[in-house]
Amino acid sequence: MTLADYLPIALMALLGLGFSVVTLWLSWKLAPNRPTAEKLAPYECGIVPLQEPAERFPVKFYLVAMLFVIFDVEIVFLFAWAVRMDEFGWAGIAAVGLFMALLGETLAYVWKRGALDWNVPYRRRYRRVVAEPLEEAA
Amino acid sequence: MNRADLVAVLPEVILLAGALAVVTLAVFADRPRAEWGTAAGLALFLAGVAAGVQWWALGDTPGSLHFSARGLEVLRNPMVVMDPYSALAGIAICVVGLLGLLAAWELVGSLGRRGPEFVALLLLAVAGLHAMTIAANLVLLFLALETASISFYVMAGFTRERLDADEAALKYFLLGSFASAIFVYGVALLFAATGALGIYGAGGLRSFFATTIVVEPGVLVVALGMLLVGFGFKVSAAPFHQWAPDVYQGAPSGAVGLMAAGVKLAGFLALGRVFAAGLPAQIDRWSSAVAILAGVSVIVGSVLAAVQRDVKRLLAYSGVAHAGYVLVGLTVGVFGLPAVTFYATTYAVMLMGAFALVGAVSGSGGGASPFEDWAGLGRRAPGLALAMTALLLGLGGLPFTAGFVGKLQVFTAAIRGGFLWLVVLALVTTVVGLYFYLRVVATMYFDDGEGAVAATPWTTRVVVGVAVVVTLALGIFPWPYLDVVRDALPL
Repeated sequence: MTLADYLPIALMALLGLGFSVVTLWLSWKLAPNRPTAEKLAPYECGIVPLQEPAERFPVKFYLVAMLFVIFDVEIVFLFAWAVRMDEFGWAGIAAVGLFMALLGETLAYVWKRGALDWNVPYRRRYRRVVAEPLEEAA
Repeated sequence: MNRADLVAVLPEVILLAGALAVVTLAVFADRPRAEWGTAAGLALFLAGVAAGVQWWALGDTPGSLHFSARGLEVLRNPMVVMDPYSALAGIAICVVGLLGLLAAWELVGSLGRRGPEFVALLLLAVAGLHAMTIAANLVLLFLALETASISFYVMAGFTRERLDADEAALKYFLLGSFASAIFVYGVALLFAATGALGIYGAGGLRSFFATTIVVEPGVLVVALGMLLVGFGFKVSAAPFHQWAPDVYQGAPSGAVGLMAAGVKLAGFLALGRVFAAGLPAQIDRWSSAVAILAGVSVIVGSVLAAVQRDVKRLLAYSGVAHAGYVLVGLTVGVFGLPAVTFYATTYAVMLMGAFALVGAVSGSGGGASPFEDWAGLGRRAPGLALAMTALLLGLGGLPFTAGFVGKLQVFTAAIRGGFLWLVVLALVTTVVGLYFYLRVVATMYFDDGEGAVAATPWTTRVVVGVAVVVTLALGIFPWPYLDVVRDALPL
């Protein structure tokens, strides 16, 4: 492969760069620019609420899904060790045991912090994790 | 695995054990903050001692290679290297980590029950930073980089009540992940070009370039460029610096010091190992790219810092310029590494002190630190103003400060390497740098400000004190430390 063979890639890169630069430049040039304090504020999602909603929406499934991924990946690592268990011997068992102990600590921590309590109303969990330190600080 | 293997990664082991101890003490035993905080401090201290033991044990040996499941495999493809370079890096990173813990102590107190998580993340981040400096394999380097980065993404958004902290965390996360992706792509292309992922050993980059002449370097050059872009993002060298000011401004002041100084320190040392120690045969291919990156960084950083009205943003943009100065020293390869080590370590300590002062003046959980907060500080809090003046002059590179000695070192190295134009450019921007550092000093002493400054906690005072003492001591009497960095060469 000579350098000339990279020409299509270079052309593609130039085209992509040119397209993005021209679009950005056009929208910057054409759009009127009248900044206000609200417009410069960081945009998160929709309008900043004026008051707390009456009901909080539970999103506990997302926490459980995230924890599931951690322990699922753990199993993947165990498979890699299990197929060659005899060859690794006691050193392998010690290493995997340490790994399992670390994950056991993680599980215990998550449990203790209440992330596995499915039936706790969200408001109470929220209070425990976020509101309390604020009250302590105040 | 043998005993020397364990010594090579002892700092990591201690730091991870410390992180577990913090979580266990705080959540299971429900002990007070003083106890698990002491455990965290002890872990950082012992990790630093372990790095010191490595330095002492190495003596005159250039270093040793470690870690593989099978004995002989170590010689072919080592994962971890233990040499004077990594031992000094370990000491420096643990010192910066300890300063970071002290600087964040007030913030940790205000976090309440989330405090232990913050401290555990801090320890994990320091472990990742240290792993970056001992990594002898680019995949391990990537993992270490991610360990540190992901911890810092979370720490940036730890004060969830503030919207700009959310913005900082998300911006840091998205741009940082993007940079990591580019870095990993560079590693993959380097593997495609050379068939090596490690630096040392029979299957490493060094032995590949010692026995092979690359005739068609297309893929190799692209790989080197991508690695440089990935590192450039992490150490906020222009033009990959856009995230830094917003992230520093939004993240809680108590945490920013370690986020900025730690990543820069470990990033430069890892960059030095990969490029200067791992790819010295290719120096003609990468040194001009590093020089251009350095030139752009010193110009962009200095010019943009001069127009800031916020001390945190000013420190962020001046950090871009400082990244440029360190890269100036790196252009000459392994001969510039002592200068790079000296500059990066002293800059990290000065930056820790400066951000601790920002936390003392504008609140350790707060975001912005506008000039109005600093106006009249010379009368309202003379001690803080004096310390800030010393640190800013050090960052500016005035004589009798560590910043001056560091600049002298990198510039001398670059002139010997034939980069006179770059040194002239860097000298001009140093003068611009003095302008914006002195602008903060002038604001503190000549402008009128209102309101009393909250009492500074002893932890912050320790950080500032250490930073000021190091700045002045290494500026007036740098020779012992210069000898140390001269000995601290990678394998």
